[in-house]
Amino acid sequence: MSEKYEDQGSSQATMTPQTSASSLPPPEKPSAIQTRFRVVAAFWAVILFLGLPIWWKTTSIYRAELPLQEMLDWAGGKSCRPVFPVEIRFEIPSLPDIEAQQLLRTTQHTLDDLNEFSAHHLRLKLADEEAQQAIEKADTALTVRLLAQDDLASPRSELQTDSTTLNVFYPPSQIPPPASANSPLSSFIAGELQRLFAEEKATVAHILSNNAVGAFTPSSNSQAQQISPQLAESITKRLRRSMKYSETYHLAFSLFTPGSAPSSWDIESAVQDYISPIVQALSPVSNFIIDTQVQLYATFSPTTPAPEYDETQGIWTLKEENLSAFINAAEWPLNPSIGTGPTINFILYVPSPEHFPLLVKESKATSWIIPQWGGVFILNPPLPTRPDPNTDTDTDTTTAKPLSNPPHLPRTSLRPAFLTFSHQLLSLLGTPSTPASLPLRLQTLIRIRAATLLLSASSTLGSLARLTESLPSIPIPAPVAFSVSTTLSHLSASCESLRNGRFQDALASARVAETEAERSFFEKSMVGQVYFPDEHKVAVYLPLLGPIGVPLVLGLLKEVRRIVVGWKGARSA
Amino acid sequence: MTTIFLFALLVSALSAASAASNYHESLNLQPFPPSSLLASFNFKSNTTQTSFEKQHFQYFPRALGQILQHANTRELHLRFTTGRWDSESWGSRPWDGAKEGGTGVELWAWIDAQDDETAFAKWITLTQSLSGLFCASLNFIDSTRTTRPVASFEPAGDHIGSENLHLLHGTLPGEVVCTENLTPFLKLLPCKGKAGVASLLDGHKLFDAAWQSMSIDVRPVCAGTDCLVQIDQTVDIVLDIDRSKRSRANPIPRPVPGDKLDCDTSKPYHARDTCYPQENPGEKAWSITELFGRSISGSCPLADSQGSDGTVCLRIAPEREVRPSPESVETRSSDEFTRCFTPPPSTAFDLAVSEHKIQSTVPLDEPVLYAERTIVGHGQERGGMRIIFDNPSSSKAVDFIYFETLPWFLRPYIHTLQATITGLDGVRRQVRTSEIIKETFYRPGIDRERGTQLELGLSVPPGSRVTLNYDFEKAILRYTEYPPDANRGFNVAPAVIKVSSPEAGRPIYLRTTSLLLPLPTPDFSMPYNVIILTSTVIALTFGSIFNLLVRRFVTAEEASALRAQTLKGRLGGKIVALRDKVRGKSSKVE
Repeated sequence: MSEKYEDQGSSQATMTPQTSASSLPPPEKPSAIQTRFRVVAAFWAVILFLGLPIWWKTTSIYRAELPLQEMLDWAGGKSCRPVFPVEIRFEIPSLPDIEAQQLLRTTQHTLDDLNEFSAHHLRLKLADEEAQQAIEKADTALTVRLLAQDDLASPRSELQTDSTTLNVFYPPSQIPPPASANSPLSSFIAGELQRLFAEEKATVAHILSNNAVGAFTPSSNSQAQQISPQLAESITKRLRRSMKYSETYHLAFSLFTPGSAPSSWDIESAVQDYISPIVQALSPVSNFIIDTQVQLYATFSPTTPAPEYDETQGIWTLKEENLSAFINAAEWPLNPSIGTGPTINFILYVPSPEHFPLLVKESKATSWIIPQWGGVFILNPPLPTRPDPNTDTDTDTTTAKPLSNPPHLPRTSLRPAFLTFSHQLLSLLGTPSTPASLPLRLQTLIRIRAATLLLSASSTLGSLARLTESLPSIPIPAPVAFSVSTTLSHLSASCESLRNGRFQDALASARVAETEAERSFFEKSMVGQVYFPDEHKVAVYLPLLGPIGVPLVLGLLKEVRRIVVGWKGARSA
Repeated sequence: MTTIFLFALLVSALSAASAASNYHESLNLQPFPPSSLLASFNFKSNTTQTSFEKQHFQYFPRALGQILQHANTRELHLRFTTGRWDSESWGSRPWDGAKEGGTGVELWAWIDAQDDETAFAKWITLTQSLSGLFCASLNFIDSTRTTRPVASFEPAGDHIGSENLHLLHGTLPGEVVCTENLTPFLKLLPCKGKAGVASLLDGHKLFDAAWQSMSIDVRPVCAGTDCLVQIDQTVDIVLDIDRSKRSRANPIPRPVPGDKLDCDTSKPYHARDTCYPQENPGEKAWSITELFGRSISGSCPLADSQGSDGTVCLRIAPEREVRPSPESVETRSSDEFTRCFTPPPSTAFDLAVSEHKIQSTVPLDEPVLYAERTIVGHGQERGGMRIIFDNPSSSKAVDFIYFETLPWFLRPYIHTLQATITGLDGVRRQVRTSEIIKETFYRPGIDRERGTQLELGLSVPPGSRVTLNYDFEKAILRYTEYPPDANRGFNVAPAVIKVSSPEAGRPIYLRTTSLLLPLPTPDFSMPYNVIILTSTVIALTFGSIFNLLVRRFVTAEEASALRAQTLKGRLGGKIVALRDKVRGKSSKVE
């Protein structure tokens, strides 16, 4: 640099200092201007065509394409309108085909008149029609068997509790004439069916209207008016306390006692007798893994108010508002079972002999459900003959000796507890309380579960779509896109199955859709880099870009100005 | 003697345990003169294999049982240890060292799996779950800390029909064992530490001990075809009697006042301000309440005490006076030193032991081997390992397996392995390693994947001291691989020594202390410095090159003429002129 400077200086050394002070340097050679232009252009070319792409490539995050609109449509309920065509088969052995058809038609007509909730409707079929539709066979929810009985004045129905069969006995005189539009028999059958499915219908209406997809159920309002407030309340309560659906549940039965006895129980036979049948019946819905434990010296937590003694009735009582603190979560080993699926805990609590018998104060009950967690049963085992409190004096040391619980709980004393547990299990799973037939209730459970899963998977998809839109800086890896597409295909499969009345298939598809939706939403690599603050970027880029960027930009500006001036000069000339 | 005594208890407990689900607990106390006390707690419960598989848990803890089933683990050994066993003054280890681990956490398990990968996956599941259960960092046992020992461990249970058992072993030498590990340990007990000897276990006293070890062993025990799953929990602690007796009101150690010092008054220079300490002060008096801060609250009603003499056993000199609480039953065993007590079922139990001037002492068992391992050398780049084995016996040679796992950043040079031997004559000489080392299993480490595993079958001649030496190189870690306290050094897991003793049947285990390896640590503000420095250098060179290329070079005069043409130059010139005028220097302008 200095050498060049000297060279230029020496070439002008012939001029005297006085004259050179005011003299301008000779105009630059066009070749020099050309060179400078090329230099600036080359630098900028490198920056624009090499630097920027590399920077872009190395710092960009991978965001897989998601079908956002489709996802939002699902969440908004625009893609699928869940319908529940419940198929009911009629077996009418005593009637000729034509008359049976006629009866069916009038009954269906009456039913449709009664039903105001379009998403859930009953479809009546004759048993022998089934053969024609072997391909697209829907699940049969209920079989109605019409039996003629001579000595009846009016029709009578009987629901079998262990199967999905409704027996209707009718006097043969009530067969509707072929021409009539209505008959007492068909309206009776329609009324019976309506009654059987009332709770299910209300539940479905509740689920659909609660899920922000309610826009498409205009009839839900009238439906809401139809169901009684008590029923509505009980449905809300049941839905609130029921566990989230899972393929596998762990059932943990625990015996807790504050002392050292009882330390053993006939748990194997109790489970065998009271829990296994229900688990067997529920197997189309979920799998269950059962484990049991005995935990002694399980005391209440110090913050829990102690049971109070009720003098008038001679019982120890727990206040209802304190029941939530009954479980000593810090000390009782109630950790969830290992493996997939949530744990439902059932606690059999045997109070110490000093607190015998222990009841809930308000209702005198001994059991309660803890929503979405499990159930508690207080078992007051018969103690060895208790001394009469009147004769019990201070001097009488033999009778004042502390009583103790029995060391072993036999099957007979476990019976009430396990019957309660089986009821609690059903209601924790969300099984409706009516009708009386358990298989029918389980079918209802399948439909309700399919609907809930469908809706929750859809709303998860919607949340994912909104998340992707609102956080442009999070990466979206390819597995998420794959999960989303699996979810979408299973959702439509599930919706299609619902429409065709194949509820088992609908549940299976909805299950897959739900797992995939959850997996895509909780993808680890998405959560990891949500926050990369801008200050960090500035701290990394500024030291480099400042000193380099300023000469580059100034050089560019100068060149641009020169070109603009030259261009203007050329135009004016 | 201690070991035989404990072993006898173990055997008697085993024979009682053969029937079905049951529970057994015991506490053994043995004072070590002058002022230490070994307390060995043992809790053992069983469940039948069938109810274990059906997940009906009665005495067996459900949480642990489920983890074992989920991870296909057939046998589990978990150790939490702090401190160092002082074998010079305490003799041989309790339970023959079978129920202790190296400093920190040690875990080994036999896992049933088809192949190595499945076994490792199950092992990771196991460590993750146990980590949650015991509030320990067991989840940090990854592939670099996992080894598959070949000769150092044998299954303790009866594994019938399990062909594909894989042994995996992991250590966390840096783990600090504390109350948060004791609480889950106590929760596994049927009586929860609320009744029985477990009521003495309190974190304040337990972790104040000079040495403590908690162990959990789960193994199948089979008699014929009917099998039991047995969980065996032990807590061994060596308490400093003086330290433990310090009252809670005055927990800070202060110098003893002059008049309370125990002085030898027979010395001629003994005066008010000079004191010669008593040489043999004898053993101090103590009681359970004084040492543990509480008494034993009854006995656990589930424990079946049949087949053993009592729950609380004491091993002291026969003439020493012991005052147990009333209502307890005392049994003296055939061994003259051992007394056992059965605490009353529901009332508190205490035990007071009188002061004892040394007349007769309980003989201490001499360990079969002393082992010591240290890091030698200096500098940041290289180092050396020195392992010293001492055979105290003058007649018998000791054969043992030496097993060590080294982290991958410590790269040993096995060709530098040298052995020296100091015989009975006290002469130190170099020997060929093949004279000492009978067999070698060496699995070199892979950077960031697995550590080095070294198992040596050694034999030390009677009365000799063998020193092994080898050199190693320290690796330089990546920036993110350093822990937050990098300058503290890196823990190297203790070595495990398995002495096979034909007479006892079971092997005796010893462990060396863990080591601290200083590694070269960088300056951790480095990345930012690098960014700033490189940016500055690049900016400087870039700026000059760019300016060289695009600037036009003119003379200084031409430059000022050029500047005069521009608006800025003219303005500047006028300002200068104005200033000069004001200062009366206008004549000098041009």
